[in-house]
Amino acid sequence: MSQSTNPTTQFQTDANRVTADDDRRSFLRSSLRGYQTTRTATQERFLNYESARIAAGDAKWEAIENLDIYLAQFADKLEARGATVHWCSDSNEARSAILNIIKEHDAKSVIKSKCMTTEEIHLNDLLEKEGFEVVESDLGEFIVQLREEAPYHFVFPAMHLKKEEINSLFQEKLKSINTNDPEELTMVAREVLREKYLSADIGISGANFGVAETGMISITENEGNARLTTSLPKVHIALMGIEKIIPKLEDLALMLPMLATAGTGQHLTCYNSQLGGPRQDDESDGPLEMHVVLLDNHRTRLLADPEQRDALRCIRCGACLNVCPIFKNVGGHTYGTTYQGPIGSVITPHLRGLKDWKHLSHSSSLCGACSETCPVKIDLHHHLLRNRRDAAGKGQGMLAEKILMFGFTIVMRRPWLYRLAGRLGKVGHVLTKPIHGTRIDPFYAWKKTRDLDDPAKQSFKQYWKSRK
Amino acid sequence: MSRDAILGRVREALSVKTDPHVREVVKKSSHSLPVLANGPDGRTQAVKEFLPFVGDSLEDHVAAFKVLSEKLQTEFIVVPTVDSARQALAQLRQAHQWERIGIHDNELVQSCVDQLQVEFLNTSSDYDSHALEKCDVGISGCDALIAQTASALVTNHSAGGRALSVLPPHHVVVADASQMVTTMADGFALIREKHHDNWPSFISFITGPSRTADIERVLVLGAHGPKKLTIIMISA
Repeated sequence: MSQSTNPTTQFQTDANRVTADDDRRSFLRSSLRGYQTTRTATQERFLNYESARIAAGDAKWEAIENLDIYLAQFADKLEARGATVHWCSDSNEARSAILNIIKEHDAKSVIKSKCMTTEEIHLNDLLEKEGFEVVESDLGEFIVQLREEAPYHFVFPAMHLKKEEINSLFQEKLKSINTNDPEELTMVAREVLREKYLSADIGISGANFGVAETGMISITENEGNARLTTSLPKVHIALMGIEKIIPKLEDLALMLPMLATAGTGQHLTCYNSQLGGPRQDDESDGPLEMHVVLLDNHRTRLLADPEQRDALRCIRCGACLNVCPIFKNVGGHTYGTTYQGPIGSVITPHLRGLKDWKHLSHSSSLCGACSETCPVKIDLHHHLLRNRRDAAGKGQGMLAEKILMFGFTIVMRRPWLYRLAGRLGKVGHVLTKPIHGTRIDPFYAWKKTRDLDDPAKQSFKQYWKSRK
Repeated sequence: MSRDAILGRVREALSVKTDPHVREVVKKSSHSLPVLANGPDGRTQAVKEFLPFVGDSLEDHVAAFKVLSEKLQTEFIVVPTVDSARQALAQLRQAHQWERIGIHDNELVQSCVDQLQVEFLNTSSDYDSHALEKCDVGISGCDALIAQTASALVTNHSAGGRALSVLPPHHVVVADASQMVTTMADGFALIREKHHDNWPSFISFITGPSRTADIERVLVLGAHGPKKLTIIMISA
């Protein structure tokens, strides 16, 4: 995933490599089957899950379509509670805002809880370069950080790793005992991180929701690491995208169970915390300062698209990845993006440029499983089509595709040519049979992973005539 | 200024109305489904009408709380009186060999622990977090118990700050049956009533002991927070 390679080439190379790894693929599939089972059971407890989806979808529509009002309200309320709000147009601004806070406090160590937005702005790279110790506290994130790789899935960062691999990683990097037991491995991480919470000067978190009405961020988690990160260090910095807003506090009563059900199949995750400001006068603990860094980073560009602003309603549950046949086959790293899977394929071209990222919208079977599973009813698979349309409209299609479509138009407009092409095709198919699947086959690229059946004896036209 | 720049871009983007076709996808395929009024009130109602049903009476709520607690591996103890809560805590102390206990200024908590012969750390005023980390257990009150999710709703006022309920390896919540409510929305309404606009800086729904399944989807309790959660509810 080096920066120098072209994202399309990188996708193709990695996709080929991962799809050939049957062992890893079946490991991934069995883990996602487990998710599906728990999720189905939890969803069945709802009195009416479909209606709940509509209500949740409405909440996010209301927020996104009035984002200017709600964002301003959110920031004003937070500031009234003693928090500082930083408005950042792009990742550079966000990085320097965060770096400045850290430097002002003469801080040495930073503890982080899970936050994909910090991955988006490559915060860790910067902080490490500046000489700070940065520790990811979410277990999955901690593991991928030790491996010096990106999260595999934005909800399950280490889902691609087997316990044996984590065992050897911990032995190598943490000098831990030799064990393949997930519980013992978790306890190793717990011990290492306990001390970090107590000694860290700065805690950095993300935010799952920003409540406009009350000026609070809401953080969803299972491990308790986000609670510790936002309780113990003297300074709390929260980084959130501007689209995370919801209108009212009570909306969380709907959104939090929807997020948990779709995200992990739990009816509610272990800790759902709302934080509005630093420690107040009548409180006994908590950070002395709270900074909320609001990030645009081309989200307003997506908002300006009257069709695809829909995708800003995403609550990052990861369900669309879990059901996606492409994700299951190519895996998370292949995407080369912060946000993988269908939602990543929809938004990355807007956030990082259509030209370099349009290929993601083609890596889809358009089966619609993503749209069907989305807890806020984002029209995901149609957005993939819209990205394809936009890329083609801007003349960014592939040359081969253009030639093919040019020829197709000529043939389709002339019935005699169509009939002739049909017959030639049949003959051609039989004649070229000996070279099928070999490298001299002109359609090798297409056929190497596909079987082409023999054409039917009768064409549809012939069948239709004979039928009368 | 960046604030104006970003809000300006947002306004400009929103000056083009959302494509109605996309907007309607939310409602599509839902002709036969009950849909509530848009807006926060409709959403609060949705929590009652569409999310899992847990009955209307206290008995129903306690029963639902019990079932979910078992699944979550929360130890849910229902006792008749404060005195029996005191006994339950004494037994827990015995069983887990507690020596240092974190508590806070909460009437119910104080009256339940007053006979425990242990070292106490009170987190209602400035305290040392290293000392709290050495406590065997944190015992706190709560604002409400949520039947629909088997959660304890806490704020830094009702639970002795942010850390008491998450730093020690065991968290015990002492609650009264009158604190049982149906949904999370009811819980928020309670806090709203109690604090008006002067919100506590920390609110949390605690739903089971800390957990992770980041390694091969195997459930492990006590990832970073408490390995055990005990909720003692006094029913009389």
